[in-house]
Amino acid sequence: MKALTLLFILLVFLATGCYEPYDSRIHVRDEVKSDSIIDNVVTRPVAKAFSALIGEGIEVDEAILRRNEAGILELYINGHNRAYSTRRFRYRVEWLDADGLVLETKTSVWLQASAMGKSPFSLKAVAPRPEAVNFRMDTRKWE
Amino acid sequence: MRARTIQIITLVSILFTGCEEKTTNIDITHDDGKPVLALDYRDFDQAASTLVQSLLASGALKKEGGGRYVVATGRVVNDTMQRIDTDQLMAKIEEEMLNSGQAVMTSAVGSGTDKLIHETRELRDSEEFDQSTIAARGTLIAPELTVSGKIFQRNIRYDKKTQQVEYYFQLKLSDAKSGLRFWQKEIIVGKRGSNKSVAW
Repeated sequence: MKALTLLFILLVFLATGCYEPYDSRIHVRDEVKSDSIIDNVVTRPVAKAFSALIGEGIEVDEAILRRNEAGILELYINGHNRAYSTRRFRYRVEWLDADGLVLETKTSVWLQASAMGKSPFSLKAVAPRPEAVNFRMDTRKWE
Repeated sequence: MRARTIQIITLVSILFTGCEEKTTNIDITHDDGKPVLALDYRDFDQAASTLVQSLLASGALKKEGGGRYVVATGRVVNDTMQRIDTDQLMAKIEEEMLNSGQAVMTSAVGSGTDKLIHETRELRDSEEFDQSTIAARGTLIAPELTVSGKIFQRNIRYDKKTQQVEYYFQLKLSDAKSGLRFWQKEIIVGKRGSNKSVAW
């Protein structure tokens, strides 16, 4: 009987592991989607506490630069929030010319951004002048 | 007795010194100061930055065949409860439009008019001035595009102790000849604070 119970639990775990979302572009949040054996009302608080304990937060996955039709450089940042809670932060993008010097502009100010828990986020920044060839970005806590 | 008096004077001096509010310079680049319910320079910086980035990304300033558009600043209405000089917003936007290399601003018409441009033309009949140094008729360039906008405020009671203040920054770019609108953008700056605070 004990072996049978263990087998059942193993099968449920395996079945959950095989689950694939209908479409990876669609994000169905906790408490909206159906609970599973590993993600439910009992396990979720433990996972959230563990996430907070190890200090999970924002991670940047990629930074894409492209020049638009007007010859202006555009920066697209894609990332995700590993934490369960919403992360609010500020970011500032500075633009560099061909010599690596910072272009003076009124657009390089601290802007607000936020990413909901366990969700992807995107940021966009536009260079002030066509001379921009590269960028550097800084972040800080949204006080 | 004398020692006691000195002790009291010292104590009072220390207490008064402790009460004094120090004046400090704001670190404009990395300001960690608390947000305020009214609009401050950080809100204008953020609004201007977002508006300019949107305008440049839209390609509305890209002139077909090259060259730069001549842009005039129209009226930017302040419909908030605060005394705002809308130039605080527009000066930043105009500066960035100029620096983008895609537009030149005109001082001949619009809210950014320089009166001297017209006053110097009134000297055409004056014998005191060398007439060859005075701008000839038909030399001013008319604007091809106009920028205008509005800043308005909504105050909402959030709960018994808190109020919500919403500021809307709206800007639009129109073609002066056809009247068609090429670009527009709205930025919302929202704040919540004590009912006791005054948002103006």
